[in-house]
Amino acid sequence: MGRKQGWLWPILGTLSLLCTALLLFGFGWALKDTWSPSAGMTLPDPAPAPQQGGVAWADKSEIKAIAIGDSLTHGTGDATGKGYVEASLALLSKSLGKPVRLDGNLAIAGLEAAKLSQLLDGKAMKDAIAEADVVLLTIGGNDLFRSAQDGGSIAEGSGVDPELVRARLPELEARLAAVFNKIRSNNPSVRVAYVALYNPFYELEELRTPLAGILEQWNGNAERLAAEDGNIAVVPTADLFRAQSGLYLSSDHFHPNEAGYARIAVRVAQALN
Amino acid sequence: MPRDLELIRNETVKVWKKKRFAVILLILLVLVPIFVYAQMKIAQSSQDKFADWRAELRQRITDNTNALSSDRIPEEWKKWRIALVQQLQYYLDRDVNPNTPNAVRFTNTFLQNAVGLFIPLMVLAVASDIVSSERAGGTIKMLLTRPVRRWRILASKLVTLTLYVSLILVSTAAVSYLVAGLVFGYGGWAEPVFVGFKLQGTDLDTSAVHAVPQGVYMLMQLGLVWFSAMTVAVIAFMVSVLVRSTAASLVTMMAAVISGSILANMASSWHSAKYLFNVNLDLSVYLQGSPPPIEGMTLAFSLLVLGVWALAAIVVSFAAFTRQDILA
Repeated sequence: MGRKQGWLWPILGTLSLLCTALLLFGFGWALKDTWSPSAGMTLPDPAPAPQQGGVAWADKSEIKAIAIGDSLTHGTGDATGKGYVEASLALLSKSLGKPVRLDGNLAIAGLEAAKLSQLLDGKAMKDAIAEADVVLLTIGGNDLFRSAQDGGSIAEGSGVDPELVRARLPELEARLAAVFNKIRSNNPSVRVAYVALYNPFYELEELRTPLAGILEQWNGNAERLAAEDGNIAVVPTADLFRAQSGLYLSSDHFHPNEAGYARIAVRVAQALN
Repeated sequence: MPRDLELIRNETVKVWKKKRFAVILLILLVLVPIFVYAQMKIAQSSQDKFADWRAELRQRITDNTNALSSDRIPEEWKKWRIALVQQLQYYLDRDVNPNTPNAVRFTNTFLQNAVGLFIPLMVLAVASDIVSSERAGGTIKMLLTRPVRRWRILASKLVTLTLYVSLILVSTAAVSYLVAGLVFGYGGWAEPVFVGFKLQGTDLDTSAVHAVPQGVYMLMQLGLVWFSAMTVAVIAFMVSVLVRSTAASLVTMMAAVISGSILANMASSWHSAKYLFNVNLDLSVYLQGSPPPIEGMTLAFSLLVLGVWALAAIVVSFAAFTRQDILA
């Protein structure tokens, strides 16, 4: 140990001893916090998001959109995973001549109207709706076709029993009304595009007529609710998937493919402006 | 006692002169800026995409929920995702941003990711040859011909190792804080983090959840990381006593640490793997409230397993070192 290193040990020794003491203290704190936690910090109450409302679209520099609903909005069946949402907003942006920003695609595959209505009570959805100018919505397909299931494979239509659906239709329609109401109460001025249901089993002759009646009733009911509201557009899609439905449905015979979504996108954009 | 201090001083200066700590600092100074840059890119791209953090968080929750509905993802991924979704939801409901970009947040995330592999490897740089290098270099004979009992010499090496492990951990945190601060700003000490999430099956128990400042979270996390780093260090110490060559002892320990991080990702169905020390290294999962590698593991359990391994390693080291026939 030469004289040159005289400074090394005091510094190194003290510093590393201090580090050890600090880490031991932290270790002790972690144990205490895990096994007998204190009350913790008090946080300010979360504030609700500011509502959009009041300002006309023409006066805005940017339109904010959100997409909610089920697998159709999620984009299931589209190999690129985009669905109709981005395409329709791009078309809307072009027709409005101003940017339209997608503030989130909150659709969850397999969602039913009852669950969506439950989600709409949560702060996350409330804020998202409150901040938006446009809501793109698909819902109901899972309610209808799942409640129709009697154990068979839904993709082939074999599990679908129209009588089961017909019996439950009033109950299911009330769920859609609840969804519309909750969106409206969270944001009085938001414009909603609701993509109506099509018949994915059009090719199956034994289901064509009974399901046609049910879908007509469902979509008619949606139209009626939309008219009561005044700022909800119901986008018809049933006719898009009738002739040559094979071209527009994906390989699961249930969801649209890219071409099918592109057709929906055009209509959604037209309905919004 | 003054003689013990002299021994520790001797060992500490010896390690310093081998420039091990300098190498570790250098590695940190090269690697941390890379991670900071990557983090900055992520922050930029999400800023372009989303209006605010709430929108981003909403999207993250939805994306993870959608990923859950796929049948083909493994069960443990599902569990991890469910916990994540519920935690993010908890943050969103309380209007607390879990991802504010700042140096303290970055340091916490970095430590979280480093605890399983990066930190153990740095500890090994010092621990693996603390005894075996003396043997390889022949200096052990000089050490042992001093009029000091063998166990005292070994104990001084163990104390030295402890001091260096602490120094390495604090330097890791300091370097990552200082470098990240250049980009993200040096604030964030008082921002709230939620701790105390408990996983009950697939449901998150939030009854014990409370907010602590990020600074306190960092201190707690460092403490836990220190405990697991010390376990690795002590086991490496034992291997260094038992194995003659430094290279062999380093490779043995690296293999153990790396296999632990692999096992932690795939061993969820092999339940007795939870008694291995290397599966228990990531103590920060308990602080975060994310699912442990194997069901049924708790903080107390992991601390016990690590503690038993460490204690056994110390006993074996001393027993072997005092009986080894070194001078022959």
